[in-house]
Amino acid sequence: MYALEINNVEKIYSNGHKALDNINLKVNQGDFIGLLGVNGAGKTSLISSISGINSFKGSISVMGHDVITDVVKAKLNLGVVPQELAFDPFLTVAKTLKFQSGLYGVKNNQSWLDELISRMHLDDKVNANTRALSGGMKRRLMVAQALVHKPSVIILDEPTVGVDVEIRKNIWEFIEELHKKGHTILLTTHYLEEVERLCNKIVMIDKGKIITESSKEDLINNTSSLPSSLDVDISGGDLLPEIADIVMSKTDSRVKFKIENSEQIVMILNKLVANGVKIENIHVNKPNLEDIFLQYLRR
Amino acid sequence: MPFYAILNKEISRFASIWVQTIVGPLSTALLYQLIFGHQLSSVSTGIDGVSYSTFLIPGLVIMQVLLNAFGNSSSSLIQSKYSGNIIFILMAPVSQVGMYGAYLIASIVRGFIVGAAVLLGIVWFGQLMFSQVWAILYYAILGAAITGGLGLIAGILCDKFDQLAGFQSFIMVPLIYLSGIFFNIQHFSPFWKMLAMLDPFLYIVDGFRYGFVGEANFSIWYGALFVLVFAIAVNLIGIMLLKRGVKIKN
Repeated sequence: MYALEINNVEKIYSNGHKALDNINLKVNQGDFIGLLGVNGAGKTSLISSISGINSFKGSISVMGHDVITDVVKAKLNLGVVPQELAFDPFLTVAKTLKFQSGLYGVKNNQSWLDELISRMHLDDKVNANTRALSGGMKRRLMVAQALVHKPSVIILDEPTVGVDVEIRKNIWEFIEELHKKGHTILLTTHYLEEVERLCNKIVMIDKGKIITESSKEDLINNTSSLPSSLDVDISGGDLLPEIADIVMSKTDSRVKFKIENSEQIVMILNKLVANGVKIENIHVNKPNLEDIFLQYLRR
Repeated sequence: MPFYAILNKEISRFASIWVQTIVGPLSTALLYQLIFGHQLSSVSTGIDGVSYSTFLIPGLVIMQVLLNAFGNSSSSLIQSKYSGNIIFILMAPVSQVGMYGAYLIASIVRGFIVGAAVLLGIVWFGQLMFSQVWAILYYAILGAAITGGLGLIAGILCDKFDQLAGFQSFIMVPLIYLSGIFFNIQHFSPFWKMLAMLDPFLYIVDGFRYGFVGEANFSIWYGALFVLVFAIAVNLIGIMLLKRGVKIKN
C-alpha cells in the first residue's frame, strides 16, 4: 500500500487555467519527498487536491483511502501545513490545538500537545492570543496543528518561511524524528539545501506536469552533463587568455572556473602557477540540487 | 466529536465578546423600548387590554433573536473565510452537514441567550402574560434557525464584509422591520399591508407575540407550519451550497 497514490489527476480552475495536467505519483510509506517547482508550477494545487480543498479529475488515495469516497479515513491519515498563514483570532495557542484535536476526534492528548508546543518553541506563548504571535510563530503553530492527530502522511507546504534559522533547524530535527518513526513526509520549500539534506526522493513539477521523479542520489549522479566548478583563491599575477573563457565569476581574490573533468583542474592550476599567480586555496564544487533544479527548468 | 469541537468554539467565540454580542443588543432594545414605548404609548395595538409598551416587548425580543442568529453565523463564517482559518475545518474529517449543524446551533444558542437577556431587560416595561410558552420557544428556535441559516448562506456567498453588510441592510433589516415588530400590521395602509403579508418573518413575530399575549393576527397553526417549512427550505439550501463548496472550495 502506498502512503500516497495519485492517478491521472487534472485540475482546471474556473478561469480555465490548467494547474495540474495528468499527474501520476506513487509515494512509498516512509519516504521523505521534496516537491519542487517555481511559483505557479502546481505544487499548492496538488496539495490542495490531496487535502480536500480542491476538486479535481482523477483519483488520490492516502494510505489506501480514497480522498473522495473514503474521505474520513483519508483525512485522519493526513496532516497538512498550508502555505498561507491562517489562524483563528479568537483562540489562544492552547485552545487552537485543543480545537484542532477536536476536529480530528482526538481526546486526552494533552501530553502530545505539550510536546508539540515545546518542540515548536511556543511554550511562553501557550496562553497568548494567536493575533499576538509573529508570522514565524503562527507558522510554527500551523505545523503543530498539522500534527495533533499524529498523521501517517505529513505534507508541509513552505513550513519554515519567516522562521528564525535556529528554530528552523529545531523544527527540521523534529520532522526528521517523525520521519524516522515511520511518518511519510512530503515537503515543498524554496530552501533547496533543506530538501537536499532531508529528502530521499525528489519530484519536480512545472506547468502542472511532473518533469522528473527520482531518488536524490540518482538525480544528482545522473545529471553528469552539469558542470562542476572550481573556486581558486588567488593573489598576484594575471589570468591567461586561454583559461579566461571558462571563468564563471571573478573577484579580486577569488576566481570560479567551470570544469568538466579532473584533468581540467590540473590544467587550470598549472597555467595559473606558470603565470605567477599565487594560489591561496582551492575548492571543487559538485553540482547541487539548485543547479539541477535550474537545469530542469531551462529544458 | 468534530461537531462538538466546532459548536464549542463557536459558542466560546461569541461568549468571549459578550459586551458586543449580548450587552449591545440589550442596550439597543432598551433604547427602543424607552423611546418608542414612551412616545407611542397612545398607539392602538389592536389587541384588547394590551398596551403599546407590552405589545412592543415581544417584538423587540424576537428582533434581537433574529438579527443575532443571523449575525453569528454570517460573521463567523465570513471571518473564517477572510482570515483563511476555515481551511482547518475543510481539511479535517468533518462532514458538511456536521459543520453546518454546528454553526447553525451556535447561532440559535446566541439568538436564545440574547433574546433572554433582552427579555429580562425590558420585561418590566409591560404586563406580559406568557400565555403560550410553547409558542415562545417554538417561534424563537425556528426563527433563529431561519436567520441562522440565512446567515450561513450569506457567509457562504459573500466574499467581503461590505457584501455581507449589504445583505443585512437591504434584505434582513427591511424584512424584520416590515414584520410587525413595532406596529400591528392590521393598522398598515393596504399597500404596506400587502407587502408585509409577503414577509415570511411576519409569521414568526406574530406567533412569538401570541406566546406572550395570547392573541395572533393569523392562524397560529398555519404560521407554525409555514415557519417550519421555511426553516427546512432555507437550511436545505444552505447545506447544499456548503456541500457543493460554493465560494469555499476551488
